[in-house]
Amino acid sequence: MKKLLLKKEIDAFRKKAQKLEHPREMVIDLLRAIQDHFGWVPDAGVELAADILGVPPIEVEEVATFYDKIYRQKVGRYPIHICDSICCWIRGGEEIAAHLQQQLGIKLGQTTSDGLFTLLPTCCLGGCGRAPSIMVGKRFYGHLTCDGLDQIIAQLREEAVG
Amino acid sequence: MPTLTIDNQTVIVAEGGSVLDAAIALGIVVPHYCYHPALGAVGACRQCAVTILEGSQKGLKMACLIPAEDDMQVSTCEEEAVAFRAQVGEWLMTNHPHDCPVCDEGGECQLQEMTIGAGHGIRRYRGNKRTYLNQDLGPFVAQEMNRCIQCYRCVRTYKDYCGGEDFGVMGSQQRVFFGRFKDGPLESDFSGNLIDFCPTGVFTDRTNRFRTRSWDLQQAPSICPHCSLGCSILPGGRYQELQRVRAGGNRLTNDSFICDRARFGSDWNNHPKRPREARISGEKVEFPYALELLEERLEKLVEEYGGETLRLLGSPRASFEANLLLKKLAEKYGAPAPYYDAHPRRAFAARMAASIPSGQLASLKQLRESDLILLVGVDPLAEAPVLALALRQAARAGARIVALDPRPLELPCDFEHHPLTQESLLRGLSAPEENELLESLRQQLETSQRPVLVGGGELLGGEGLRLLLHFSESCCGSHDCLIFPVLHGPNSFGGGILGATGDSNRNLIEDLENGNVRALICVETDPAIEHSEPGRMQLALSRLELLAVFDHLPTNTVATADIFLPTRTIYECAGTFINNEGRMQAFDPVLEPGIPIVVTGSGGHPPRQFETTPPGSAPRSAVHLLQWLLKDRNDLFGLRRQIIKELPCLRDLDRLAAGDNGRRIADCGDTLEESRTEIWAQEGELQVLPITARYGSDLYSRWSQSLTSRFEEPSVWIHPVEAAERGFVNGQKVVLRTVVGHFHLPLVFKAKMARGRLIVPCLPGTPLEVFTPGGLSLPCKIYSEVDNA
Repeated sequence: MKKLLLKKEIDAFRKKAQKLEHPREMVIDLLRAIQDHFGWVPDAGVELAADILGVPPIEVEEVATFYDKIYRQKVGRYPIHICDSICCWIRGGEEIAAHLQQQLGIKLGQTTSDGLFTLLPTCCLGGCGRAPSIMVGKRFYGHLTCDGLDQIIAQLREEAVG
Repeated sequence: MPTLTIDNQTVIVAEGGSVLDAAIALGIVVPHYCYHPALGAVGACRQCAVTILEGSQKGLKMACLIPAEDDMQVSTCEEEAVAFRAQVGEWLMTNHPHDCPVCDEGGECQLQEMTIGAGHGIRRYRGNKRTYLNQDLGPFVAQEMNRCIQCYRCVRTYKDYCGGEDFGVMGSQQRVFFGRFKDGPLESDFSGNLIDFCPTGVFTDRTNRFRTRSWDLQQAPSICPHCSLGCSILPGGRYQELQRVRAGGNRLTNDSFICDRARFGSDWNNHPKRPREARISGEKVEFPYALELLEERLEKLVEEYGGETLRLLGSPRASFEANLLLKKLAEKYGAPAPYYDAHPRRAFAARMAASIPSGQLASLKQLRESDLILLVGVDPLAEAPVLALALRQAARAGARIVALDPRPLELPCDFEHHPLTQESLLRGLSAPEENELLESLRQQLETSQRPVLVGGGELLGGEGLRLLLHFSESCCGSHDCLIFPVLHGPNSFGGGILGATGDSNRNLIEDLENGNVRALICVETDPAIEHSEPGRMQLALSRLELLAVFDHLPTNTVATADIFLPTRTIYECAGTFINNEGRMQAFDPVLEPGIPIVVTGSGGHPPRQFETTPPGSAPRSAVHLLQWLLKDRNDLFGLRRQIIKELPCLRDLDRLAAGDNGRRIADCGDTLEESRTEIWAQEGELQVLPITARYGSDLYSRWSQSLTSRFEEPSVWIHPVEAAERGFVNGQKVVLRTVVGHFHLPLVFKAKMARGRLIVPCLPGTPLEVFTPGGLSLPCKIYSEVDNA
């Protein structure tokens, strides 16, 4: 079983929280750290963050559920955010989305059976000048074509094996 | 005060008022959801669009966000605004289920009314609706999130106004969800306000689900009987059953909020064991027979032994009118003036509060507007919950709150707590200039603009309130330092006014033990519960020749009375209570007395019996009973006129109407020169202080079945350092030895309480019910269970 956070990280966050006038400003950093470590943020992660920040769990949950880059459900190793907004639609975003669903054999919101990919629509990635675009984890990919996408998927699959 | 014109009608609104306030004042319906007078406006629902024709911001605007200006011209009928409102109405309704026929809010739903008001009638949207899984929020509040229109009133009520920490808004876009982090009972003591504030049926009263349509309810404005604040409430019932309580609106007291004890603690009125028939020595008899027998026996007793052998006991639960008539009854029979509280220390506190000049008493509204509040010996959440809400509003506006109290206080706002023992508090107040803390507080009170001192009558007693009054006078420099006394019951203050003329050093129990007393009449009180030594009181009562009890609660004293006459509850008769700041407030009857049809018919049609009166309808109001004994034929209005003649300080009594803001008493004249000697224990001796629990300590919560889920487990509290010195651990089973008995209890550590003291919350239905809050702390010994064996 993976841990939510390492003990030394928890200690570091606690130390930092003590120094801040408003510890809750660290909530995103803390949720991100838990997510980097655990893959997503389970209920226990929200409770841990609340404990470190000294706020009720609901206040952490309010932030955690607001942002779609904080995952409150289990996701694949590579969560793929497909931009679902006007600029990407104009430049073929919907084809990209359809292609990805077909190639991976899953619908939006689902995870592949090998646990590698999760498809999530997002509005918007802020890469309108490079539409159509996707984001895999924290990596941004723009000017996409279906062929380019296949390459990215193949690369990620290789990376996962290696 | 800006004067503006809306739809060709001119109106003046208060400084800072909005265009929506002005429209509401004119009676023009502009649909709105997120705006509420107590919460203010946020402009979240976009429903209240109007057109500003003349003013600094012209065009289509949200009425709740635009401040009213002089010479403003506003129209609510411009085509664009009308279309805008209809479209917003339609848009808010896209996801709303058409389940009004099975929704408890139906018939009193703001969404229903405002949607029609906005001009949306026919749904065009044919797609799927957004749906949610609901949470279990405990026994009080039911959630149905599909009905939500995202106006955010619930979070603003629960979190912002009431200071709850376990409720919030989650998600974004179409997924916005209002609820808890996980399923579970709402923790706030004010959770029921969600029901009143939700404009539709997302949060409804779980204790009253699927029972009555709002238009079938019998309702009447009333006053909450649970504590001394006198919050205005709107109880509703049907078929002789009291079914629900909603908050009334009195901007001078509770505004639009009540606590959960008030809202969910009303089913004592329908208690299955409620005595509804007259009894003589436990045998049921006809009502008139019992009343005549009582009169006969009283007359005989007075004739043979004289009026001095008769005692009368009124109560903070009984209406002011009943308590006053009791005084007349005493005069008629030549008996000494009545007692108004069986607990001598509480009675003295009430007399002392009633003697404070009217102009020096603060209202809850003044408390909300204060900038420095000093709480002395008061636990708001236990003794007067809505006071805690007022403190929060003051704190939100920047006030400082300082509390001096031995208990581990919790408040829904930031505050400074000095855990002093009861004795050191009283000693400090008796010589504030020698006490560093009080001296520095006095200086701060002097420099603040609108300071208020809140004094708990239960912990301080009358002596403490007197010292507090002197302390407040010493802080009065350029301005007044107001006092907010917290008393025991809804009419404690009224009893204080009436009791002020009596001989103050009397004590009911000593009186009874003297042996001269042969008869006692108790009106809506149980001295064996209310007195600080219940065992001693029970013994004294059992020696009486005649114990007559008028009451509506199934107490032990009712069961042992020689003559018992059932009375109507405050929901079944009219009357007046005088709250802790001397505000007279009238209440109206909601129901006729009788056994609820749900009981007599066991769920079906009630039995077809050929009687002229419904079963259980015998109870008469205490006022009626006393008037019968006095042969007084006045109606309530006549009675009030008569009271005014005798007590000029109540001169506005006949101008009261139930549901109004109430009227303050005028100054009663002389200040009370009374003093009682109290021996305050020394520091260092271990003493136990019985305190009011948040739920169950007042008599009405004790018999409210829906509140039992909130009752705490019995325990004894100790400061961790104190425990460590004695070698105790948290949660350990201990034996507590006191004069009232031995108790086996778990020891609970409370780091925020005073040292040198143990604290026990008084809980009904547990061994701890023999303790009565309101006294001084008692000597005690504590052992671990093993040592004791």
